[in-house]
Amino acid sequence: MLKKLISCFTALIIISYASASQAASKPKVTIYTSMYEDIIDAMTDVLHKKFPKYDVEFFYGGTGTLQAKIAAERDTKKLGCDMLMLADPSYALELKAEGLLHAYLSKEAENIALEYDREGYWYPVRNLNMILAYNPENCKKEDLPQSFKDFASNATMKGACSMPNPLTAGTALVAISALKDKYGYEYFDLLAQNRVMVESGSVALTKLETGECKEIMILEESVLKKREEESSSLEVIYPLDGPIGVPSPIMTIKDGWSAHNNAKICEELTDWFLSPEGQSYIVKGWMHSVLKNPPSIPYDSIPTAEIIKKAMPVNWANCLKERSELRTNFEERVKNKR
Amino acid sequence: MFAKDWLAAPHEKIRFDVKLVMILAIVAFLLIFNVFPMCYLIFRAFVNESGFTLDAFKRIFTYPLNWNALYNTLVTAGLSMVFGVMIAFPLAWLVGRTDLYGRKFFRTLFVMTYMVPPYVGAMAWLRLLNPRVGTLNVWLSDLFNLSGNPFDIYSIGGLVWVLTTFYYPFAFITISRAMEKMDPSLEEASKVSGASPLKTVMTVTFPIMLPSIVAAALLVFVSAASCYGIPSIIGAPGRLDTVTTRIIDYVYVGSAEGLTDATTLAVALMAIANVVLYVSTCICGKRQYITVSGKSTRPSIVELGKWRLPMTIAVGLFAIVVVVIPFATVAMTSFTKNLGKPLSLANFTTHYWHILFTRKGILDTATNSLIAASVAATAGIVIACVMAWLLTRTKAKGRHIPDFLITVGSGTPSVVIALALIMTMSGRFGINIYNTLTIMIIAYMIKYLLMGMRTVVSAMSQIHPSLEEAALISGAQWHRSFKDITLPLIAPSVVAGWFLIFMPSFYELTMSTLLYSANTKTIGYELFTYQTYHSQQTASAIATGILLMVIMVNWLLNKLTKGQFSI
Repeated sequence: MLKKLISCFTALIIISYASASQAASKPKVTIYTSMYEDIIDAMTDVLHKKFPKYDVEFFYGGTGTLQAKIAAERDTKKLGCDMLMLADPSYALELKAEGLLHAYLSKEAENIALEYDREGYWYPVRNLNMILAYNPENCKKEDLPQSFKDFASNATMKGACSMPNPLTAGTALVAISALKDKYGYEYFDLLAQNRVMVESGSVALTKLETGECKEIMILEESVLKKREEESSSLEVIYPLDGPIGVPSPIMTIKDGWSAHNNAKICEELTDWFLSPEGQSYIVKGWMHSVLKNPPSIPYDSIPTAEIIKKAMPVNWANCLKERSELRTNFEERVKNKR
Repeated sequence: MFAKDWLAAPHEKIRFDVKLVMILAIVAFLLIFNVFPMCYLIFRAFVNESGFTLDAFKRIFTYPLNWNALYNTLVTAGLSMVFGVMIAFPLAWLVGRTDLYGRKFFRTLFVMTYMVPPYVGAMAWLRLLNPRVGTLNVWLSDLFNLSGNPFDIYSIGGLVWVLTTFYYPFAFITISRAMEKMDPSLEEASKVSGASPLKTVMTVTFPIMLPSIVAAALLVFVSAASCYGIPSIIGAPGRLDTVTTRIIDYVYVGSAEGLTDATTLAVALMAIANVVLYVSTCICGKRQYITVSGKSTRPSIVELGKWRLPMTIAVGLFAIVVVVIPFATVAMTSFTKNLGKPLSLANFTTHYWHILFTRKGILDTATNSLIAASVAATAGIVIACVMAWLLTRTKAKGRHIPDFLITVGSGTPSVVIALALIMTMSGRFGINIYNTLTIMIIAYMIKYLLMGMRTVVSAMSQIHPSLEEAALISGAQWHRSFKDITLPLIAPSVVAGWFLIFMPSFYELTMSTLLYSANTKTIGYELFTYQTYHSQQTASAIATGILLMVIMVNWLLNKLTKGQFSI
């Protein structure tokens, strides 16, 4: 009896192991992305209906995590993906310069409100915004800092504020790049003085709910998602010195480097993501559209044109050039200050 | 290096020597996937494109932050080791050797902690003991009318607390096993001579157990020193870096220099682990008591007398604080809508459990982990059985070489194993298994084989060879005697050993963080991303799900085999 059980079990393991390593028959496209899993789930369903002939698969990871992964994969001369939808736009500049990207002039490009690559190597596909957030059940809005500057320098925030980690999150890297350009590296020292906790979104939101944090620096979509899905009372503060807009790109890895060499299919997907229909799913995912005439605005947000107008300027070339320097400086000045 | 002089041994017997073939196969596996990658890692730390250089070392060790991290690692791992053993030894004795009420229940409860991901514990303690609004903190300060909150989890002390409560089971399991096979006659002698139970423990039991205690301590030290989940969750807000979090940070900087720095720091971590390993082998090597590996005997049960109830209460309280409270916190989180409010009917939801059973990402990663962990555990336990047979039943030359290599593998910090495998197994040397499930299975085997092997070896040494000899005399071949005599007798330990490899592989995080790919993401990594990026409630639902699965499997095994098998 036991022997039979054991042998059945062993057979099962071997069969499932073998089948796990087999490939699917449909042409496949793997997209590395830093979008939320909920949004990935919704998108996967839609793409499955829209493109039944293809097998489109998302792979989630923080931008920094995926960059580290791609760095390791480049060593093997083949990446594990066909398309990238990472947060940090400067990464597109880097990959383009290194000749890893596939150029495609999308017919949807003329409708895009934000800057895109004229040679067609990358297009912004979702507009993310770094903002401040608080919990009206614990604090009054007027008692809290209304700008990024005040967030770091207001002593009442000491030990009760949190921000994302630029080592793992692309949007956080963009944010500290913009803040450094505007306020200098001294801004990092102010953050350290206020003993800002450096951690990821879900942890920070929980701390806002429990009252451990009074105010946090976070992506707008995280707060809006919580408001809609969990009827949370957490609220966004659009900083007076400007929300930090991150027009996250979509790009295709060129054949030869890509996992499945399906650049033609990726072109179709690019068109769809930039179309009003594709953008409506971005908006449903609490991110702003990149189109001149956005299909709608995210749940509970302000108009897209307004948020673009208010945004703090970001120097993308700097952001790329200084990536390591920014991360190292942040490590030293903020994360590890005792 | 060891293999070399050993290979020079006479060759005439090789043709039919199954033992030699098996030893060779196991050694070859370990040489390719364990020794070679580690050596290459060391090589890379010193040699870059322009030749031999100490630049990376200079860069790493002139950076005060890294010294800080090194200090934190040594202190937290060292203290967790001391406290872990201080907890595990009395617990193992009380649960294994006395007439404590509910011994079996407690045993399962403590082993259970080994079966859940340690970073889940970090999540729970974070909620309970954060310095501003920690549930337990607030409750305690209300209860005793304190002016402030008594505990701060974001500190060295907090880190040690969580590490200890989640890694002492490693010591508990190791020490329990040794205690169960101890010859009780010495204890009886002490008792007859008029010593109190406590005195007997201190003067007889403890010294005999010393080698196992040292082995257990080592296991706790290395696990705590190479842990990533706990320090990244507890340490980040408290600005406490450990060597592991530094290494992962260096990898995330994303540049080639970052990778070299990570490698160099990994070599330093490996050096620490090896020194500790070496020291402990020295201590153990000198103290092999024959009494531990004698004939099969069932140790006598010590009667606690008037201490029976108080001791049970003490163990019960410990179980409540260390096991029940954190697990209950995690379970409750999975049903809570708004974590800022207490769990009430209005704040109750099964939404996250729904996600657990419907989300493709979670189901896929769970399948991946199930497959990887099953294969690792099965292959691992086969090696463990062969090794147990070689070590306890044969005098085959070189049988200690694979034993040594397996011990070194488990003593190597996870992050080091992963980095070394990436660098060597991605096609540069003819083997390309990067981005496959195979590389994960190999990593899991190298890391967790030891726990399974020790379990089987200790079971095997309890079985007197005379039974097998009887089979051999009756004309059975050695494999027949192994199949019909030995295997049935050690079967419960084989199952237990299988689980000791399976569970940590199933929820493994540190290595998976570096080794996963689009098709091979694991449940451990998924759980960690849910915890940190998407939703703590979903993460809690996954964690509770894993725990429920473990309880069910344990219950089922117990029922099906009428109590003979359990975890």
